[in-house]
Amino acid sequence: MGAIILVIDDEAPIRKLLKVTLEANGYSLLDAASGQEGILTAGMERPDLIILDLGLPDMEGTEALTQLRSWYLAPIIVLTVRDNEAGKVYALDHGADDYITKPFGMGELLARIRVALRHVVNQTDEPVITIGPLTIDLAKRMVEKDGEPIKLTPIEYDLLKVLATNAGRVMTHRQLLQQVWGEQNYETAGHYIRVYVGHLRKKIEDDPTRPKLLTTEPGVGYRLVTSN
Amino acid sequence: MSPTTSFKPKWRVLKSPKNNWSLPEMVSDTTSGTDKRWLPYLYVTLMVIILTTIFWLIGYAFTPVNIALLYLLPVFIAAVRWGFGPSFYAAVIGVIAFDFFFIPPIFRFTVGDVRYLITFAVYLAVAAFTASLALQLRQRVEEARAREAVTSALFALSTQVAAARDLDGVLQEIVRQTFVTFHWSAAIVLPDKSGELQLRAKYGFEANEQDELLEPNVMRWVYDHGQIAGFGTSRHSDTQLMYVPLKTESKTHGVMCIGTTQQLMKSPSNRERVVQALAGLAAVSIARIHLEEEAKRAHLSAESERLRTALLDSISHELRTPLATIIGAATGLIESAEILSERDQRELLQTVREGAMRMNRLVTNLLGMVRLESGMLQLNKKWCDVSDIIGVSICQVQDSLQNRSIQVNLPSTIPAIAVDDVLIEQVLVNLLSNAIKYSPDESTIQLTVAEDNGILSIEVQDQGIGIDPREAEKIFYKFYRSTATKNIPGTGLGLAICKGIIHAHGGDIVAKRAPEKGTIVTMHLPIEDAEGYLIVTKGDS
Repeated sequence: MGAIILVIDDEAPIRKLLKVTLEANGYSLLDAASGQEGILTAGMERPDLIILDLGLPDMEGTEALTQLRSWYLAPIIVLTVRDNEAGKVYALDHGADDYITKPFGMGELLARIRVALRHVVNQTDEPVITIGPLTIDLAKRMVEKDGEPIKLTPIEYDLLKVLATNAGRVMTHRQLLQQVWGEQNYETAGHYIRVYVGHLRKKIEDDPTRPKLLTTEPGVGYRLVTSN
Repeated sequence: MSPTTSFKPKWRVLKSPKNNWSLPEMVSDTTSGTDKRWLPYLYVTLMVIILTTIFWLIGYAFTPVNIALLYLLPVFIAAVRWGFGPSFYAAVIGVIAFDFFFIPPIFRFTVGDVRYLITFAVYLAVAAFTASLALQLRQRVEEARAREAVTSALFALSTQVAAARDLDGVLQEIVRQTFVTFHWSAAIVLPDKSGELQLRAKYGFEANEQDELLEPNVMRWVYDHGQIAGFGTSRHSDTQLMYVPLKTESKTHGVMCIGTTQQLMKSPSNRERVVQALAGLAAVSIARIHLEEEAKRAHLSAESERLRTALLDSISHELRTPLATIIGAATGLIESAEILSERDQRELLQTVREGAMRMNRLVTNLLGMVRLESGMLQLNKKWCDVSDIIGVSICQVQDSLQNRSIQVNLPSTIPAIAVDDVLIEQVLVNLLSNAIKYSPDESTIQLTVAEDNGILSIEVQDQGIGIDPREAEKIFYKFYRSTATKNIPGTGLGLAICKGIIHAHGGDIVAKRAPEKGTIVTMHLPIEDAEGYLIVTKGDS
């Protein structure tokens, strides 16, 4: 029996599509057509993951997210439309684990679900994280690429560590600033991330102009891509 | 201002609403000297006395006939300079002086020789005749001067009016010039869309004075009948102002209301002429502006018609083609799945996906265009790395590259740039997609970044079919598709969106034919905007 996923979306075709494909991939599906109904279902059924459409007819998607997050701890993936970067960032900074933009490919959605569920399972930090060619030993503060040690400055290491412990998940600028720099003022410190991501890319990417590991999500943040 | 009984007559005799005006020459000619009217008579008297004294002292050298002729001199001078009155006065005192001092018996008014009476009569007749002739001449000159003044004033006015561009500017200039040149308060009323006459321009009236003075029913009458009325005319002459229709051949455009006075010009015909000239000028100016506006509107509506047609053509084609493939493939799969091989089914599903992707692109572009055009586009500028934007863009077009390759020339010295990265990425994706779409497989696409003097340029060069220099600008127009690429599907929106986004950033985007083969599209972006984003870098310890 796979994980239980609750889909909160007012569009019947989307619910149907997700039901068919996700059940075929071994998940159990619950669905709700409105925010209120979704919150109720989540409370009663305690699903392992929620897919929440931000464009709901009865309430603001972000409002539904806030209400759910007040007691619900498992991952929430939000569905948004393109051109709504501000909405994505808001949702991510207010408790969403990841987002996916409509229209989306099924492979992409499945990958997001897997990453989100894995982070729930791996709550206890593993001392060694492996992402593609990278190996990060958190106990020894050592980073290797294809077996070769890489020299990182303390801030670069902290940045990579935060991204690696959240591998596969998008991290907003604000989240990175808070976790790496302890900085609250995003407006003045936003460029730190840009500069250090550039440094980090030069050290871990084969071609820094075409990053494959540390990718940019325009207007949202960065993601350390897991190989699947 | 409260209406008072003394107000109406005040307006009629009003020479000028303000005291400190210097009246223009043509007006002052007729009015000056009203309080010094006796001066010419004094001069004439003086002249006669001087002449008499001279004749008296050397008089015996002259015969009385000579003296009588010389006494005509003050008459001529007075006629030319001061008019009929002084000249006739000169004739009379001339005769008296002649009689008294030079006709025997001297120092007596009695005439010894009756023949001298004939001399007197002839002298007076000649004096009267020449005086009236001189007077007529003087009047002609005066009239000519007045006419010339009016003409040059009107000329100046028409030059000023022609310089004004929009309707309100023209109207304001006309009433202002009317006041400055002729010292007539003036207002112009034009019909609005519903046909109601509305005050559009006024000058020379005191605050809200025109509300009392303008009489709507008279304005209406003048506008409807196209005939002059009001003060100083035969119709509605009990009103305060003169109402002149602004007529061109085809129609009456409005009414000009003029606060004039009867004394202002010597001859009513002159005033009439000026008023008519002013009204004609105003009417022609208004007609000119109306025609310009109409021509502009016609041009705009033709343009929007062209766009609408292009939109319909483009959208109906671009939406129907993928829809046809999707519906066809889907129904094929549903209805005849059993006779299709696994490979065929897969291929059909691919078609469905491609069709949907294409529709998605179209919808994205359309929405982008709508956002740009409706002014809803808000730039979310922040410092970005160009390499980052390029990386994301290349990643986006990766799937459609097939065997083409993208070569990135990015100097490491390129600074960060303050832009909306999501939008610039969209521009770059559009440019790269075009490069892919219009170039053969196996070819190379070059992406070159350079910085010069605070301007960042990003260049996308393909080895494709190239571009006609005549179309280099047009391809950025909405829905414009080059004739050479009609067979390649597209909406003609992508580059228009690029241009909109780049312009919103204060940059520009141009296309040209590459020296050997293909097209180069270059965008220029200012590295920082006027607000000047500050870069603060903290040393990494």
